[in-house]
Amino acid sequence: MATAASHCLLRLYEERHELEDYQGGVPRWCTGCGDNAILAAVQRLCRDEQLRPEKTVFVSGIGCSSRFPHYMKTYGFHGIHGRALPVAEGVRMARKDLHVFVNTGDGDCCSIGAAHWIHAIRYNMNMTVFLHDNQIYGLTKMQASPTSPKGLRSNTTPRGTFLEAMQPLTVTLGVQNVSFVAQAVDWIPELLYDIVSAAFRHRGFSFIRIVQRCPEWLPTMFEPWLHDPERVRLLHHDDGIKISPTLARVYRNQERHDPRNIDRAREIASCVDPIPVGILYRNPEVPCYEDLRETDHLRTTQFIKSGLEAEFDKFTVWPSA
Amino acid sequence: MDAARQAQVAFYLTGKRPGAELEPVEGLNVRPALLSRYRDLSALRYDYPLVLVDGASLDGCVRALSGLVDDTLREIAHGEDGERVSHHVLRMEKALRKAAAEAPGARLSELWTATADKLGAGEDEALRDSLDRARAALSVDGTVVDCDGALPYRLFSHVWRVSQGIKAQHLSREIARLVHRVSNILQADVARSERGRSANTLKASVGGLDTDAFDFEALSQVLIRTANRTTITKTRRRRLEQLIVALQAYDFEPDAFRFDSCSEALTAWRERLPVLVDVARAMAMAELEIAGDYREDRHDMFFDGYGADGLPPDDIALFADYLVCVNAATMSAEEQAALMEILSSGLPMKVLVQSDDILKDTLPGAGGFGRSAPHFANMAMGLNEVYVLQATASHILRCSQQIAHGMLYPGTALFSVFSGASGFAGDVPPYLLAAAATESRAFPVFAYDPSAGHDWASRFSLANNPQPEADWPEHTFDYEDEDRKRVTDTVAFTFVDFVALDERYARHLARVPSSHWVDAMTSVGEALANDPGDQPGRLPGILMVDGADQLQKVLVDEKLLREARRCRESWHSLQELGGIHNSYAERMLADERRQRAEEAELAAEKAEGTPPPPAEAAAEQVATVEPELEPELSPDEPYIETARCTTCNECTQINDKMFAYNENQQAFIADPDAGTYAQLVEAAESCQVAIIHPGKPRNPDEPGLDGLLARAEPFL
Repeated sequence: MATAASHCLLRLYEERHELEDYQGGVPRWCTGCGDNAILAAVQRLCRDEQLRPEKTVFVSGIGCSSRFPHYMKTYGFHGIHGRALPVAEGVRMARKDLHVFVNTGDGDCCSIGAAHWIHAIRYNMNMTVFLHDNQIYGLTKMQASPTSPKGLRSNTTPRGTFLEAMQPLTVTLGVQNVSFVAQAVDWIPELLYDIVSAAFRHRGFSFIRIVQRCPEWLPTMFEPWLHDPERVRLLHHDDGIKISPTLARVYRNQERHDPRNIDRAREIASCVDPIPVGILYRNPEVPCYEDLRETDHLRTTQFIKSGLEAEFDKFTVWPSA
Repeated sequence: MDAARQAQVAFYLTGKRPGAELEPVEGLNVRPALLSRYRDLSALRYDYPLVLVDGASLDGCVRALSGLVDDTLREIAHGEDGERVSHHVLRMEKALRKAAAEAPGARLSELWTATADKLGAGEDEALRDSLDRARAALSVDGTVVDCDGALPYRLFSHVWRVSQGIKAQHLSREIARLVHRVSNILQADVARSERGRSANTLKASVGGLDTDAFDFEALSQVLIRTANRTTITKTRRRRLEQLIVALQAYDFEPDAFRFDSCSEALTAWRERLPVLVDVARAMAMAELEIAGDYREDRHDMFFDGYGADGLPPDDIALFADYLVCVNAATMSAEEQAALMEILSSGLPMKVLVQSDDILKDTLPGAGGFGRSAPHFANMAMGLNEVYVLQATASHILRCSQQIAHGMLYPGTALFSVFSGASGFAGDVPPYLLAAAATESRAFPVFAYDPSAGHDWASRFSLANNPQPEADWPEHTFDYEDEDRKRVTDTVAFTFVDFVALDERYARHLARVPSSHWVDAMTSVGEALANDPGDQPGRLPGILMVDGADQLQKVLVDEKLLREARRCRESWHSLQELGGIHNSYAERMLADERRQRAEEAELAAEKAEGTPPPPAEAAAEQVATVEPELEPELSPDEPYIETARCTTCNECTQINDKMFAYNENQQAFIADPDAGTYAQLVEAAESCQVAIIHPGKPRNPDEPGLDGLLARAEPFL
């Protein structure tokens, strides 16, 4: 309900932000780490969308990926293990004017934070979530994560893992109120950017699993996919990602997939090889929790205080007179 | 020509009845045949009375009593006693309809109680049970209004009050938010100041119970020493305090915004404008302050002159709209001028112009009926930016959505309403007269909403008129002839039928005794559809019924027929605006058809003797995206497939002069001579996505070239 003048004046003096305005120091990730590609795509998104740094917040948990907020010159919240999503939900609830991004890893999201992940999907709050999935705990020097492939030898599984790897996409697509699911790989930067951009523009809980290389602990894990474009299947649609002719020259394994088709999305999500890349599912009509709970009450100090007092009074034992 | 025929022709041409062959209609209590079934409205279930519902949303603030009853019955009339409950409640509705006509403006709850007593609910247990259940289910209350002269004012005041209540609520919430946020800035500054970090303040903020557990003096010293010392300037503080005062100055009291005169409303607007400007300025400044974007060097000058040229329409739309209710019959020339000023200014005023009589006497020499009546709705449409709704009381409920749109329209809205309470229609109730005005096209219903789109098709609607595509709406009419046989005719309801309801113009009608009914008489619709010269001798007339329900044929004089033609022409103009029989479109269509016919003819001529063309192969849908062929790069030159770079820093760490990042953080070869061929080969080998192509050595003297060339081979 802003006045025309304030709207015009805010636009009149709007500052142009360059890529450097979002760069918060030199990343300490290993050379060759896929996190660098994600960082580059996200900084590019911020510049292209001209997000105001003071209106943007990156929330993370613990792990290599969760160092992400340190490298963004925006607001950031480097939280505790597995709890990036509840923190982000709190931020979103209290400050609907902010652009909320979440960076979480396969350990942070799919293991210790799994419960929060499931419910965050159901709440469908407007935020963009990047699951940096390198299939290993990297920061703590190579322990198996829930998405590690069966048989992977690591410091915690010297004889190889015994369980099938968890598929984050099928899990996400199985939860009620899911509204946006996509998959990207860090080695196709053009598509990574397009998917990140589509996720940002979707209003709701936009979940992107980014298959990411770890050059330190799993240096050869994705070599076969990296060097054989046929083992990556690009999903395209007029209502989804459009593949550029340049990219189409290299990646000829393509599928036209309507992001509204959740049944096919679930089939695609189960596919491990070739790796599907693109938007699997998008439904803009799922309501956001913050909209459902929107209230006209102004949260003044007095309002909060009286609410708290009323709650405390329920448990107060009044001494008898 | 016999005497009777001669008298009829004379009447048609002169409006005079020379002999006894024609009789006057005065005293016969005649009304148009199509209205014969509507003698007693209280026996009918129709839109009236209306209930102006208290505390409802804009959508549900005006309801027909019959609609409320239907909703109630759907809820409670089930099971074994469903039929009994329906019967009782419908009886109650009928009694309420009568009671509402006798006590206009009464409350529904009061009417209900009084009517229930009158029906004997005290004694009849079953009736009491039905009515109690219905009253419990009918959870609303409000003013019950019947179709009379006071209806437009009551109804529009109610809808306006509801819409403004919603608007005022939004605005006060917004102002409260701004005050809250601006206050927060001031409070945060206090918290950052030395006073805010003093031991006493800290102690007070902890509360009563645990104060002994802290050393507030020490805490205060630490905070004062380490805290950020930037505080807001005195100028900004003063500005913020003034903003809060200015924001809190706005107040909306509905009665102060409702006027019975256009000029008084304009005067009030001019007097109140400075306050409005102050509040709008404070809102704009507060927004900037809250966003942390207020810069004194940029904005002070802008806000000093704020509002000197008026406020932008979007800002005006934030505040309350005025309601001006005037009666067309009593408007002075000054009032009419003030109304035009309002309409052309785009001010936030909703103007109700009520017409009770649209057939008033003409000025001498001015022509026909009602020609001197001002047509504000048509004029307002010409101004392009005014929301216009023209409706009659009978169709007002059907237009309730458009009334709501008009009330919410961010600018001027004009509601032109014919009440039907002319006072010249004998015992014809206002509802019926209003309905006749719409049916006869004398007062068509239309809406023009400038916010609905950029073209007339989006903005203008005639949809609420009966049979909008026809000149006159036609209905079937059943009657019994002299042999007691049922006859079904299709009868059009024309402007003449509407005028026939008005006592003042009975002289333009003449009853033809049944002995003189002649086949040569034609309907008004047909007479108008044909050129006057086409059917010599066929005189126009209408079917009417008298007080004893006897069918009468009534002749119409030429003057009245002329007025009917004029009315039809006005209706045609409206139809064209509404896209019905649009002359431009019809001409284009005719041209296009002719052109196509000519082309088809030519094609047929050419095609003679030539074989038919081969059928085109159906294009198969290609699921894959066609790749683009890129120009081949020379294998001698080093290059990077930049678009595929994953920003992994491998190459830039080998030589950041030779390899650099572009504006998207993707690598390219900035200077191939800034390093050695060995570095190029090393970068190509370490690149995980193998996008670096080292080319051929640029320095033939570089040591170990043979080995390097062999290593570079896979990347060329």
